[in-house]
Amino acid sequence: MMDVGMELRSITRLVEQDDISAYAEASGDFNPIHLDVEFAKATRFGGTIAHGMMIAAMLSELMATNFGIDWARSGQVKIRFRSPVRPGETVTAHGKVSRVREEAEGTKLTCSVGIMTDKDEEAITGSATVVFSKCSEK
Amino acid sequence: MPRDYAGLSAGDTISDRTFPVGIDGVEKYVAAVRDESGIFDPSDVQPTVPPMAVATFALRGVLDDLGIPEGTLHVGQEMSFLGAVAVGEELHCKAVISQNAVKTGFRLLAVGMDVRDGDDRQVMTAKSTILVPA
Repeated sequence: MMDVGMELRSITRLVEQDDISAYAEASGDFNPIHLDVEFAKATRFGGTIAHGMMIAAMLSELMATNFGIDWARSGQVKIRFRSPVRPGETVTAHGKVSRVREEAEGTKLTCSVGIMTDKDEEAITGSATVVFSKCSEK
Repeated sequence: MPRDYAGLSAGDTISDRTFPVGIDGVEKYVAAVRDESGIFDPSDVQPTVPPMAVATFALRGVLDDLGIPEGTLHVGQEMSFLGAVAVGEELHCKAVISQNAVKTGFRLLAVGMDVRDGDDRQVMTAKSTILVPA
């Protein structure tokens, strides 16, 4: 049973340029800001940055790791991309239960979630909701 | 020819396309994001697609149709996953403009997406907010 304030099991990962390139191939997003070092150096970011959706995938993984298939069946997430993640940075997907409500289908959990970099910057902030089904609770 | 973003209004459909969710694409996605949640298990008879993969594949088509220019920023994302999607399904995504406004040198575009499976069952809704250089 989850209670308000409970921390979700977090996920930490080093982001490397090879990961960003692999994500570009998988997603079809070949924007040079993610891939072309020389192009990216001339932008306000000063270098390549990871795709926002690639980093956001860690939040989905966080919720799926903690809530299983219920995440795919009932998950909701609302996020803002706050700051870019650069290759070489280590990021942590974290979450905390902020609300618990019993509903007919199961327990509806709302969590504050985010991605924190090793420079103590919030790359992504937001909230996620999942209905933890009655059969999952057994 | 650059798209006339100023001419887009709330309610305009900007993308309406069908896309397959095949095993190769899902495996490539899972390897790229190094998803270890176990949601996708290739040994399952009907493996489940990680929900963010559905969002990523849907968004790819929308951004292609929108023809976004270099310098575009993805600033916000909302997603509701309404049902598990099995590998091999064919999905349909319709995307509609929900907001178009100019703010401090950027055009803010909000795009709503409705993703359905082959039985017309809604599997995901989403809203992407992007800033396009004005």
